[in-house]
Amino acid sequence: MKKVLVALLVLASVAAPLIAGGQQGGESDGPVTISLWTKEGESDGALQWVQSLAADFTAQHENITIEVLNKEVEALREDFQTAALAGTAPDLLWSVSDHAGPFTTAGLIQPVDDFIDTSKYVESVVMNGSTWAVPIASGNHLMLMANKKYVSELPKTTDEFIALAKSLTKGDMYGLAYNLGEAFWLAPWLGGFNGSVFAEDGVTPTLDTPAMLNTLKFLRSLKFDHGVTPVESDYAVADTLFKEGKAAMLINGDWSIGGYKEALGDDLLIGRLPKVSATGKYPAPYTSGVYFFIPADLPAEKESAVKMFIEYVTSEEVQSEMLANLSRLPGLKAALSSPLIENDPLMKGSVAQMEVGTPMPTVLEMRAVWDAINPELSAVMAGSETPEEAVKKMQEAAVNGIANLK
Amino acid sequence: MKKIGHQDPLWVKAIIHALLITACLITIYPILRIMTISLRPGDRLMSTSLAIIPPDATFLNYKAALFEKDFLLWLWNSLVITLATAVIGLSLASTSAYAISRWKFPGRNAMLIFLLGTQMIPAAMLMVPLYLLAAKFGLINTYRGLVIAYSVSAVPFSIWILKGYYDSIPTTLEEAAMIDGASRMYTFWKIILPLTTPALAIAFLFNFMNSWNEFMLARIMLPKAGMFTWPLGLQSLQGQFTTQWGVYAASSMMISVPVVALFLYSSKWLVNGLTAGSVKG
Amino acid sequence: MNSQVVLTALGQVSGTVFWMFVGFMLIEVSIWAVGNKVLKNKNTLVAMLVTPAFVGLGLLLVFPLIYEVVLAFSNMNLYHFRNPEFSLLNGLDNFKRVFTKPVLQSTTFVPVLLRTFLWTSQVFIHASFGMLLAMLLNRPGLKFKNVYRAILILPWAMPQVISALTWRSEFNFEYGFPNILLNRIGLPGIQWKADAVWNFIAMVLTNVWLGIPFMMVISLGGLQSISAEFYEAADMDGASGWTKFQNITLPLMKPVLAPSVMLGIIWTFNNFNIPYFINEMKLESSEILVTALFRAAFNFSQYGFSAAFALIIFALLFSMTLVYVKWTGALKGVTD
Repeated sequence: MKKVLVALLVLASVAAPLIAGGQQGGESDGPVTISLWTKEGESDGALQWVQSLAADFTAQHENITIEVLNKEVEALREDFQTAALAGTAPDLLWSVSDHAGPFTTAGLIQPVDDFIDTSKYVESVVMNGSTWAVPIASGNHLMLMANKKYVSELPKTTDEFIALAKSLTKGDMYGLAYNLGEAFWLAPWLGGFNGSVFAEDGVTPTLDTPAMLNTLKFLRSLKFDHGVTPVESDYAVADTLFKEGKAAMLINGDWSIGGYKEALGDDLLIGRLPKVSATGKYPAPYTSGVYFFIPADLPAEKESAVKMFIEYVTSEEVQSEMLANLSRLPGLKAALSSPLIENDPLMKGSVAQMEVGTPMPTVLEMRAVWDAINPELSAVMAGSETPEEAVKKMQEAAVNGIANLK
Repeated sequence: MKKIGHQDPLWVKAIIHALLITACLITIYPILRIMTISLRPGDRLMSTSLAIIPPDATFLNYKAALFEKDFLLWLWNSLVITLATAVIGLSLASTSAYAISRWKFPGRNAMLIFLLGTQMIPAAMLMVPLYLLAAKFGLINTYRGLVIAYSVSAVPFSIWILKGYYDSIPTTLEEAAMIDGASRMYTFWKIILPLTTPALAIAFLFNFMNSWNEFMLARIMLPKAGMFTWPLGLQSLQGQFTTQWGVYAASSMMISVPVVALFLYSSKWLVNGLTAGSVKG
Repeated sequence: MNSQVVLTALGQVSGTVFWMFVGFMLIEVSIWAVGNKVLKNKNTLVAMLVTPAFVGLGLLLVFPLIYEVVLAFSNMNLYHFRNPEFSLLNGLDNFKRVFTKPVLQSTTFVPVLLRTFLWTSQVFIHASFGMLLAMLLNRPGLKFKNVYRAILILPWAMPQVISALTWRSEFNFEYGFPNILLNRIGLPGIQWKADAVWNFIAMVLTNVWLGIPFMMVISLGGLQSISAEFYEAADMDGASGWTKFQNITLPLMKPVLAPSVMLGIIWTFNNFNIPYFINEMKLESSEILVTALFRAAFNFSQYGFSAAFALIIFALLFSMTLVYVKWTGALKGVTD
């Protein structure tokens, strides 16, 4: 038996270098690798852009490598929490403001006040007196888009809007298409009807209100009374209809402008959602943006590299490049005065819409509100629930959901 | 099995074929739809046409998947992991199952119940602890953690299948060999294992499919684009709002074809391998 | 693809396989040394045969189970993420909460449980259709049998994620084939995504499509092993088709079907992919226990609560299975 043991030990010592070769050595002061998780995907070219930024940055700073990994928004949050629990979190996050609530509550990210000069940027995520994120892009808001083949001028009020949409709906052609079942598409109208998802304190849900009721009734009437939208339409359907010229108007976000410019060319028209005739108020889409978050456990030796990369991405040059390539509004104030915005009617329309937008709540409680609105909105739009029932259920679900978080 | 003397009358045959053809259509149509989407040109993925081959069919999506994405790399990574883990899983299961089939040792029934119990653990329950375990041993961002996890995860079902099959092989075979002086393990290797081929094939197939399709664990364990397995690669084609459906469908077709071929090839054992142990009629 | 990346997979995987092999050999040798030389136990060979598999399973499943039990006695959530408190009181509170408060936002435990039962009962559809198809395929002298079987088995062979995503897009109101077909025959389309009842039906349809082949293959194996003599004897007595089915086929198929139905029940009860991909966690009215668990743990980050929830689901399924085993004797052939 001893022979076998000796043989095994010899074998083990021979093979040891084999496996050790694959292992990563500890980081010294020399080369630094920054792992960056981004929510940017391939389909709109944003991931490729992030990758090219990382490569350019490494070309300038030879001993810093940026490893880019794309994760879908929800997966990014889940996996970041799990990784932080195990102490293997990435070094930098590039994601949406929704994450600020959970991450600050759990103590997973650190304030950025010491990293950057926050006054150079547009309004960022501020909670408990600290700034928690560095803006990369601002906006992320919904707006009204139209195809010039059918619409020469965007409607000013909802009455005009409905009349126009009705006149355009015939055959396999729809006056309006949007993502019917998503709360994010309901939010602008809630603002237009003088409502808000939270009370003054910013954490108590106020969904069982006349404003919400009117909003639901309005959205419901678009489909059932006026028949101007498809019977069921998710994001992909609305997107396809608009691209194929089968929907005259569309409500979609700034992230999609690039794609429509390509599909419709000069026929694309962008501007504010029409004033709600009943209240005389503009709909207020949620504005947020895309941000850098810095994990709380970032090792000290990586701090300067992370800081340099953030500064690089939010430099005026790169920000203008983003504006030109991806049609996203910059997070750096200096880049907002770019002539690219002034001279481009599409970007001007987007800015006009953003001006009447309202910052999306970033508190943890917002998650419960989203998940409370979505199923009831779907039910109302499916015709299986009245708006009156829906608002009650929404409120109850939101209260329960918030209680569950604690 | 003996041939049965009489055959069905013609009208019964007609009904049987009609029923089977209907069932086949229902079965295959959704799969053909994937092919349809993969053949559509990129700008009109959505259509109310039911034609299986679209009039303007194109292979552009296949080209995009093969040459613009890391499709081949994803496939390669998956293949290496899957083959390795299926072989390990099979060796672990075949030896354990043999012991459970041939010896009545203390704790045997508890073991069988334990194996059944493993099938009942909700997958969501395992994610966080497994990640923590992997992080403790430095297995994140490597294939090592996945190889270990996948090797064992199909073992319970494989033991189940193999044990049933061993049970149907009479012990007299081994006893005869052992009288001739062969050792127990020699008999197992030389006589029993070759007889078990159908069940081994099935167990291999299960191990293979199990690791080949796994997604949730791979997502958190492999946070590096170059290391993706195909389910992660396919996932990366889906954006927050927009999905590259054409490329997605084309990739899906190319991934499914080899697995389906393997499955159909081994289906000649499938029927016997799965049920041998339980039928004594 | 560059060669270095290709070699990474090969190198790492073969390295791991090598070390696992070394590890197992070490275990084997030590069991052999202790069991055979020191204890002189006659079950040493058995221990050597079963240990590797069970060590692996222990690592993969027992540690997570212990972890979940400990976690169930904590107040861990986003507010207590870094330093959760562990106490008996927290544990009791977590377990109590499963039954007294909504497990998600508006649904409580009992409705989700009942829905899960309803969802699981589809296994009987899998089994009866599987059996029916198997009996059709098993008719003597059937032509094209292999072609039919190859096609009917496809849903099982397809990667499940791909099938699930395909079905999801086919439940699109405008562009999915079920609605297009309905429209062509003059019926209005169904709102598969938004309507609670239809959404659940969509989930079941998908899973029935996926689940029938397994049962069909099992049944076919069973049918083929029934000796033809039984039927010949019955023919001589002039028995009808139905009598033969009742008195020969069913009783003889029971030992084959009972364990498979049990596995089917366990797998369906725990099926995460189909509800997750079809419903996309939108409608709470479509959640079954395991998807509700996933949401509680990952969407709402209620770690302590969801650990307790997971243990309850596990215990429930385990006791249900034991009752089933007692009732049908599904394990008789396995344990003796």
